[in-house]
Amino acid sequence: MEFLNFLIILGAAWLVFRRPEREGLAFGLLVASVVLTAVLFFLGTRGSLLPGVNL
Amino acid sequence: MALSDARLRTVLAWIVVVLTAGPVGGAVWLGIFHGESPCILCWAQRTSMVLIALTGLFVLRYGPRPRYLGMVVLLGAGGLYMALRHSALHLARDVGQGFAAIFFGAHTYIWSFFIHWVVLLVLGILLLLLREDTVQRGPRDPGRVGRFAMVLFLVVVVGNALQAFMTTGPPPFMGQGDPVRFSWNPRQWVWMKPARIFGPVSLRGAWDIPRPDPAIVDGETDPALGPLANLPSLRVTGWERVGPALNGRLTDLAHDPETGRFLAVTDRHGIYLLDATLTQVEHSVVLDPYFAVNLSPPVGAAFLGDTLAVGTRNKSYVLLRPDPAADEDLEWRHFLETSGGVRELRRSRFATVRARQMYVLSLAYDAAADELLMVSVPSPRHRRMVVSSFDRRDLILSSEFLPRLGSGLDFASPERSLGEYVVTGAVVVGRTLYAVSAAYSTLLAMDLDSRTVTAAYAIPGLENPVGLAVRDGELLVAQADGRIAVVARPGEGSSFALPDQEGPALD
Repeated sequence: MEFLNFLIILGAAWLVFRRPEREGLAFGLLVASVVLTAVLFFLGTRGSLLPGVNL
Repeated sequence: MALSDARLRTVLAWIVVVLTAGPVGGAVWLGIFHGESPCILCWAQRTSMVLIALTGLFVLRYGPRPRYLGMVVLLGAGGLYMALRHSALHLARDVGQGFAAIFFGAHTYIWSFFIHWVVLLVLGILLLLLREDTVQRGPRDPGRVGRFAMVLFLVVVVGNALQAFMTTGPPPFMGQGDPVRFSWNPRQWVWMKPARIFGPVSLRGAWDIPRPDPAIVDGETDPALGPLANLPSLRVTGWERVGPALNGRLTDLAHDPETGRFLAVTDRHGIYLLDATLTQVEHSVVLDPYFAVNLSPPVGAAFLGDTLAVGTRNKSYVLLRPDPAADEDLEWRHFLETSGGVRELRRSRFATVRARQMYVLSLAYDAAADELLMVSVPSPRHRRMVVSSFDRRDLILSSEFLPRLGSGLDFASPERSLGEYVVTGAVVVGRTLYAVSAAYSTLLAMDLDSRTVTAAYAIPGLENPVGLAVRDGELLVAQADGRIAVVARPGEGSSFALPDQEGPALD
């Protein structure tokens, strides 16, 4: 899934670099990547969402 | 000093270059050329830094629009959370331990925290300095440095994508908790799918430990249903009680063989030094439970000569000493109330290893070894019994063990264990640790040298046993209501009955 995430980021960066008029789509890809990153982190930590230390 | 829109873009372009070439590009270089593979949490933090750089490119191209600035704040805050959550796995480890490589004295997950913090700091500074009247709208040429930043970004992200493909695989495979080192050989690639995407979610994980009530233990009290089968019974030969009114429920009782006095503690931080008849309070204090070491309800009491040791549920302790010269104004900081004549010597915390993340409901003093002992109580996450001992000289952990079952004792069934007992009182006599369990109303006798439970006895008739003391040949089982059951100490002409015997127990 990390690989997919970097492909999304590449797509967004390419649009910003070469197709600046597609700002909305590029931003949509950025948001999608942020959400995917959060989901992956959540999957990695769902057993304990807060830090595993004495709070 | 103020930043124009054009100057902001130049500064931002260099920030993107540094972020991309530094931590993000460096991570790829380390991964591919030094085999440094990120775990799933590392990937997320690295991706967060990539996304911050990408958002910088957005600002380069489209200007400092609120949604981009907001996105950087979100990513910075999210990155701080991720780095803290990740680092917490390792922060409490010993010196030199951790996960993966160290740079300038810190592991990568620590650097992730620092970088996200710097991002927020830099964003704040840039916004503070930005001249709003120079901000232009719409796409514009990013400039020479900006184009360089974009190309560099694309190259580094391609490198990341390649590394991600080789080490984590295409969807639905994803990053691993314990990755292996990088390899160019596809046969050595490890691709893993999430085991349970829709598994249980917990806020605190292993730290979600219910706090046991020191005076009322939920669960079964019938000894016959306990984990140990066919136990002989100890008969209660008499009842006594703590005479004076206490400020809360009794949670432990200790007896001083030298003076005959008793030490009683309550769940409202009351500490009472009682005379040998249990009718007169010689001294009493109410501990301040918050300043500066958190004291959960006291659950254990012991005499260390003329020093009074009080243990609490959260494995903290207080050492007190009766002292006619005690200055009440000096002691005000320690006590909410005091009868006077008592000094606090020390207040701190016991640190355990095996009993970590477990509460205790007992404290005992082993005079022969000059050690304090505690027995952990089980929780849904930790169903085991751990005996921890602490050297009295420095009150640091001396040993911890999981008691074994001695010969002649058997579990009722293979799945039963000593971890089902909830030890609420303990006392040491010679080399034997006696521990009374509120669950299943059972007395355990452990040999401290062989670390073995050598005997166990049912004590019918107990109601919320919370403490255990020894007086000559008798064991005194204290109850939360202040009553004290007297039983003969096993091995001291004790009165016990085998389970298949009928009628009253033998005297």
